[in-house]
Amino acid sequence: MTAFDIMTVGGPLLIIVADLIIYLLVGRLGKRSSGKGDKYQPFTGGEQEIAPRGTYSSELFVYATLFMIAEAFALLLAGSFAATSYFYPLLFLTGGSSVILIVTWWLMIVGGLRP
Amino acid sequence: MIATQLLEILFFPGLTFFVWIGFIFDWLDRKTQARMQSRRGPILAGPFGILQPVADFFKLTSKEEIIPEIADKFVFLLGPSLFFSAPAIGTIFIPVLGAQAIVSNDYDLLFVLFILGFSALMATMLGYAAGGRWAIISIGRLVVQYTGYEVPLIVALVTPALLAHSLSISGIVAAQQNIWFIVLAPLSFCVFIVAALAELEKPPFDIPSAKTEIVGGWMTEFSGRPLAYIKLTKELGYAFLSALAVSLFLGGPLGPVLFADPALQSILYFIYFIVKLFAVGFLIFTIKTALARVRIDQAARLFWMVITPLSLIQLGFVMVLRW
Repeated sequence: MTAFDIMTVGGPLLIIVADLIIYLLVGRLGKRSSGKGDKYQPFTGGEQEIAPRGTYSSELFVYATLFMIAEAFALLLAGSFAATSYFYPLLFLTGGSSVILIVTWWLMIVGGLRP
Repeated sequence: MIATQLLEILFFPGLTFFVWIGFIFDWLDRKTQARMQSRRGPILAGPFGILQPVADFFKLTSKEEIIPEIADKFVFLLGPSLFFSAPAIGTIFIPVLGAQAIVSNDYDLLFVLFILGFSALMATMLGYAAGGRWAIISIGRLVVQYTGYEVPLIVALVTPALLAHSLSISGIVAAQQNIWFIVLAPLSFCVFIVAALAELEKPPFDIPSAKTEIVGGWMTEFSGRPLAYIKLTKELGYAFLSALAVSLFLGGPLGPVLFADPALQSILYFIYFIVKLFAVGFLIFTIKTALARVRIDQAARLFWMVITPLSLIQLGFVMVLRW
């Protein structure tokens, strides 16, 4: 890898790390609280009864994810006319697919997939 | 060499520079909106109130962070940082001092497109992590809106790539040395601005965070530092999308060459870039202030029935032009 290739991967990583460090440092300015009771209930808009978080139909997210996968492949196909090597297509495909998989997995675990 | 690049990425013309542009954009947005509504806007913090967005940011960070009982705490607390990273990463691919960006490769436009998609997905995650009825309603709207504007946005961004025969943002900027792509693809520029408004959740597409309908949408449960970061991300997104429009359609920082000295010419390129950036930003502020919110079904219909065909017509025109 050349210095330029290293920066293509290293630049975004540097921003993520720097951002996370600053975010954690800034977090020391204010206090954080969590617990049980009225203060920690989601905003209801003045209504007395609020349904607890239940399972949801993940169809919408599955469609959105499939949409993104199709989009990624279409873009790679469209971009293939300028391809000089397999490195970047593979890098983007791997990175993109990993993020999509993690997000979908998380949505299903937290929300509870309803068949 | 690498140390210099790292400093450029973190400070100038990278992240810190764009964050400040984002703050100034927020101030200009509020001033423009106030003027159009016969108000004065921010006036207290700094000269003409220009430091108001910075004051708001620090005020929010020092407030209490309340974590709702039903929230997914890990994503709720750390998600805003990742949400901020998306446009922050995009800024390093934008050429500011010449045709070459700090970081560039043959496929960086694809990377930027992925970042734009990831931003919407991250907002969905944050809303769902927070829980609450308003957030759940909001992310449904967000996903519908996202699937509507994503296709025309991509087509609008691929058009300059086709004209330049390059998927590198720096390559596209370099190809506009003689003629800006807004002249050859004006419809794509218009489509991009409309899609950018939807991406930024600004009127008339502020449907997922409509204050009068669903409180704060997916941001309802956020407070303190996470909310400050979400707002900062939106300001940075403003600056990033305007800079992307400048790079892809208005020749980026390129303009008449007046100096033989590269350092002086870089300063001139920087001035060209800033002027174009604020022109695009002002266009977005004016449109968003002048228009009222549409319903989600109207937005979906608009994107699928009008904006997408328009972007495809422009793409077809460009393909014929290239052929």
